[in-house]
Amino acid sequence: MQRSAAVALPKRRKPTSRGTLGLLLLALPGVVWFLIFAYGPMAGLVVAFKDFNISQGIFGSAWNGLDNFKYFLASGDAPRIVFNTVVLNTLFLGASLLAGLLLALMLNEIRGHFYRRFMQSTIFFPYFVSPIIIAIMLQVVLSGVGGRGGLLNNLLSVVDLPQVNWYTEPGAWPWILTIVKVWQLGGYTSVIFLAAITSIPEEVYEAAAIDGASRARMALSVTTPLLLPTVGILVVLGIGRIFFGDFATIYAIVGDNGTLFPTTDVIDTYVFRSLRTIGDFGTTAAIGLFQSVVGFVFVTAAVLVQRRVDRESSIL
Amino acid sequence: MSTTITGRTQTITDLDAAAVLDDTQSTRRSARPKRRRPARLEPFTLFSYVCVTLFGLFCLIPLWMIIAGSFTDESSLARTGYSLWPAPFSTAAYQMLFSGGALVTSYGASLFITIVGTALSLSCTASLAWVIARRLPRISRPLTIFAYIPMLFTGGLVPLYLLVTQVLSLNNNWFAVILPVMLAPFLIFVAVSFFRQLPEEILDSARIDGAGELRIFFQIVIPLSKPILAVLGLFYAVTYWNEWFMALLFISDPSLYPLQLTLQNLIANVTNAASLPGATVSQAAAPIYQLRFAMTVLTIAPILLAYPFAQRFFVKGLTLGASKG
Repeated sequence: MQRSAAVALPKRRKPTSRGTLGLLLLALPGVVWFLIFAYGPMAGLVVAFKDFNISQGIFGSAWNGLDNFKYFLASGDAPRIVFNTVVLNTLFLGASLLAGLLLALMLNEIRGHFYRRFMQSTIFFPYFVSPIIIAIMLQVVLSGVGGRGGLLNNLLSVVDLPQVNWYTEPGAWPWILTIVKVWQLGGYTSVIFLAAITSIPEEVYEAAAIDGASRARMALSVTTPLLLPTVGILVVLGIGRIFFGDFATIYAIVGDNGTLFPTTDVIDTYVFRSLRTIGDFGTTAAIGLFQSVVGFVFVTAAVLVQRRVDRESSIL
Repeated sequence: MSTTITGRTQTITDLDAAAVLDDTQSTRRSARPKRRRPARLEPFTLFSYVCVTLFGLFCLIPLWMIIAGSFTDESSLARTGYSLWPAPFSTAAYQMLFSGGALVTSYGASLFITIVGTALSLSCTASLAWVIARRLPRISRPLTIFAYIPMLFTGGLVPLYLLVTQVLSLNNNWFAVILPVMLAPFLIFVAVSFFRQLPEEILDSARIDGAGELRIFFQIVIPLSKPILAVLGLFYAVTYWNEWFMALLFISDPSLYPLQLTLQNLIANVTNAASLPGATVSQAAAPIYQLRFAMTVLTIAPILLAYPFAQRFFVKGLTLGASKG
């Protein structure tokens, strides 16, 4: 629908050559930024194939072929961080989509205009909370003053369960981080779904009502199936980003707490830590290149799939 | 049957109104007839009210705990743990923060980064997006691809670090926080899709009056695009205000720390220290907890204060971006 409208628009007029010059000037700052900060680092990836030495610079350092990659693979960390990245991202994606979908379905039930707006704003808010503040909030929940207690442990003691020192329990962290992600992104995702719900024609619900469907039945058998294309696109986009951990949130929460690395160390945090502590630019760049290339394959595949789906459903 | 007819007439009037506004977003929304209020409260609706309210509380309680904690006397925080209501009430942490200089310098740094950054981001995003939206032969299409590729492939952390520290020598410079995150390709494309909806007639009439391309951009396009510029500006401003990673990488001088980094310094290692079995109450008795909470409140305060007014723009920006893919 939108596509055909765009075609029907009259063609923009051709500018004069002086006008073109003006427009090029307008684009210049943005283009320069892209060249330096987006394309510059891509060129800088040659560091991955070099024995980097700060005094000799990026282009002066000697080549060392694939040594950096071999070193990374030999360290034995590769399987763990790749596994963690994929597992955590899958959990985050699945949980936040499910939460967003359920929240949207339920928000859609709320009739009071004011209350609905209020709740939507409330659950959207965590999206704007910075990772550092999330980390502080999580400490309140998981460990109280001086490392004892915390909200969760207080609740556990109410039902007579033993206290847990969460910051030394790596096994619990994939789930804790997933809950954090639901908190952070549930409302955000629900806003996207609600926008899609608004475009569902009312007639469909009227037909369902005539057939005697309850509100629950409508949500399950009318709204949900009609939202599936949106879910599909979000899943595809999420899979495209599956090799890029959410560095800021994970690092802000876990930091340098080595006890939790077995389950929380992802590619991005690993790269950052090796850069800081070891200062081995070549090896870290090699990991980064590996991530970018695999990520590129996934993102591109995702975009191609999305384009194909998009042609059929104009919701997203 | 009668509902269908009323439904249709309503649609037509709404379409007319929308055509005047020339806003496809509102067409879609207002073209729907209003949903009727169900006669009785169904179980699922009730269930929804309860669940949404609970999730809302789940979203707000951590924030409230921080605010309450920031007003609770440190010794009672250590003795009885956190509570929903600050007792005994104490503003000691805020007094300490306001009397010390660190807060003021951090606020200054964050304000500089946010204001200068947002201004730069917004002007570059709008101008580049307009050139793309202008559909110039042989220019707009390559520019689209040029701005799109970085969404697919990135150089990663190490080359960026080398670029900023070695090539540009921006260590301990606030621009090292601003520049790497200055443009978001996604927001550029959001702006492009908005610009493409501007009515061509207005631009044409300006051309007939002899306005040049730059004049059209600055005097016609920008004023007509205030809503989208507000959305983009807010998104960029929040990004800058919350930006912490770039500061962590490039700013090592504590007198230049933005708020988020100062805050992180307050919690760094406390996580680990707190998790050690040997952590004692006396260690915790230092006013560090109340201070951290007060600092957190002051860091999030601008967002909290602006949010009630700004949130509809965020929702709008998100749905606009989402509906255009």
